[in-house]
Amino acid sequence: MSATTARRRRIPDATLYVILGCIVVLMVGLNPDRFPTLSNLQSMASQLPILAFLCLGMMVSMVGGGINLAIVSTANFTGIITALMLRLLTGGHSGDATLGIAVAAMVVGVIACLLIGALMGWLVAWIEVPAILATLGVMMLLNGTNVVLTRGYTISDFPDALLAIGNGDIYGVPIAFVILVVAIVGLHFVLNRMPFGFSLYMLGSNPIAARYSNINIRRVLLFDYMLSSLFSALTAFVMMGQLNSVKANYAQSYVLVSVLACFLGGVDPFGGSGRLSSMVVAVVILQVISSGVNLLRVDPFFVTAMWGAIILVLIAVNHFTSHWQEMRRLAKLRHPEKPAASAS
Amino acid sequence: MKRLLKYNEFYLAVLVVVLCICITAANPAFLTPENILSFLKTASVNGIMAVGVLFVLIVGGQPDVSFTAIAQVVEYAVVLATLRWGGNIAIALVGACILGGLMGSLNGFVIHYFRVTTIIVTIATLNLYFGLLYVFTGGNVIFVVPSMFKHFATLPIFPMHGANGSTYDFSAMTLMWFAALLLGWFILKRTYLGRSIFAVGGNEVAAQRLGINTLWVRVFVFSFVGVLSGIAAIAHTSIVLSAIPNIIVGHEMEVIAAVVLGGASLFGGKGTIIGTFLGVLLFAILQNGLVLLNFSSYWYDVTVGLAITIGMTVSSYQQLRVRRSRVNVKVEQVAVS
Repeated sequence: MSATTARRRRIPDATLYVILGCIVVLMVGLNPDRFPTLSNLQSMASQLPILAFLCLGMMVSMVGGGINLAIVSTANFTGIITALMLRLLTGGHSGDATLGIAVAAMVVGVIACLLIGALMGWLVAWIEVPAILATLGVMMLLNGTNVVLTRGYTISDFPDALLAIGNGDIYGVPIAFVILVVAIVGLHFVLNRMPFGFSLYMLGSNPIAARYSNINIRRVLLFDYMLSSLFSALTAFVMMGQLNSVKANYAQSYVLVSVLACFLGGVDPFGGSGRLSSMVVAVVILQVISSGVNLLRVDPFFVTAMWGAIILVLIAVNHFTSHWQEMRRLAKLRHPEKPAASAS
Repeated sequence: MKRLLKYNEFYLAVLVVVLCICITAANPAFLTPENILSFLKTASVNGIMAVGVLFVLIVGGQPDVSFTAIAQVVEYAVVLATLRWGGNIAIALVGACILGGLMGSLNGFVIHYFRVTTIIVTIATLNLYFGLLYVFTGGNVIFVVPSMFKHFATLPIFPMHGANGSTYDFSAMTLMWFAALLLGWFILKRTYLGRSIFAVGGNEVAAQRLGINTLWVRVFVFSFVGVLSGIAAIAHTSIVLSAIPNIIVGHEMEVIAAVVLGGASLFGGKGTIIGTFLGVLLFAILQNGLVLLNFSSYWYDVTVGLAITIGMTVSSYQQLRVRRSRVNVKVEQVAVS
């Protein structure tokens, strides 16, 4: 196993599945009559998309060697623009909007969100502002803009078409979850089957090498941040549907949670590695933990504390396992006459 | 003069002065000693924490985000402890420093031993500390704090009398901020430790080869952040005279932005105390000026966001031009030889 693949699989998929299994068993053990039920499964499936979209958006930006701190602010911005557009198009009675008007408002929201992504991409690619700063600046700018646009109030009353995205279901499967599955498959094609995805991984692992390999790094970065923002738009629509309202400061704590999920999913914060499948498992793990603990009726802040503790434990476990593997490799090198258990 | 133009701090200082002139032109109440002392007092909490953030940026180039949670926990713990056992402000300060330092040092040890990115570790500790604080306190607000905080806030240091007979004073919190700045400057510029911090931030391997104990440097930096957060917590309690478990957390990005605007590099090894001071001052003036110009307070976030985005764009663009001109010089030299 070469150094790069070893780094790419800092927490290999197998470990993640084991963790997921252990946690599911633990949760079932703690709430035997409430956790393994269809309704709980449904509620988890409808809660998962918001976190998952944000985490995927964060992952896309991290693979390119950056970070997108503005991800939640962009989502709120998209939601607010869509809500204001709805209000404008229907003359104040946004609840009665027809499907066509709702779609038109959503298209405007998506365009606004792509513009924000393009702004971040431009700052990072052309002006060469460090990504963490560019997105931090845009995050604060958007937070302010959101408050100014809504005057700090909550905007509510949306048409049924929008509410269906959050609350509707197809044969018992929440629509939001269906959208998530479609988005994951789409992202899989973009990242693993298209030239753009390949360029993105190359760019993340070594920007200079990527440039000399005739990859237009500026264009790739621009599309990277636009793609990342697109996931914010998806989050926005699901959030609008589920909460039936938009506000300037919804879900702010999810920025840091999505960074944690990326770490759990083995995405290298310096870019170039991170597998979609591990990422999805990591998000499911976080959701199972938070739903399971919620069923126990514990303080929701206990989940916050637990996420922090889990990451610290993972960091330690990760360190010791890689240390142990390294020692074993060295021992093998020192005693080559001993038969190796497996070729690694 | 030409040398001044090279410094990021110079542009920042010009910006601060221009801003002061503009605001004063619109509302003369801005440039009164009373108002200046008032916003210096408000800015002191962020200012004290900013010194710590500067240290972290210098040593690693990546920001610590857990300092607000540390300040929050320390604030609550100190208020609870003084309510139960009494004591005076000096004991409270020492206790805050010790508690904050211990909590901060955890970051340092984890980052050094496990070789993980600063931002991941500090996000984890932010969630851990903040979550535990909420779990143990249930989110209850303490409205009555011991009277010593009020005495501390109104300590007569340099009392002055306004034109209309009102009295105002150089507050103890501002003094603490300036003391923190001075201490930071002294450590960075006048001690072996400070030079080691720059060395580790510039090139860790080279620093190790020089015989610098990187573990000790890193643990010191993160404990120092904790200590400063503890001091900021005392300052904050003295200003708001209550302990609210979610009032400091959430401002971490603002403090980081001020420090970065002050010229601290995100690649490590670079940053100055004066720049940090000016960055915090700029945000304080913006906030105060908007109030004096009768803007709603929610414009503050927009202006801060604009200030950061534009500031970053300009300084990155300058660096880009410097890099490009260097490349051109090299090409010319090669062509000549």
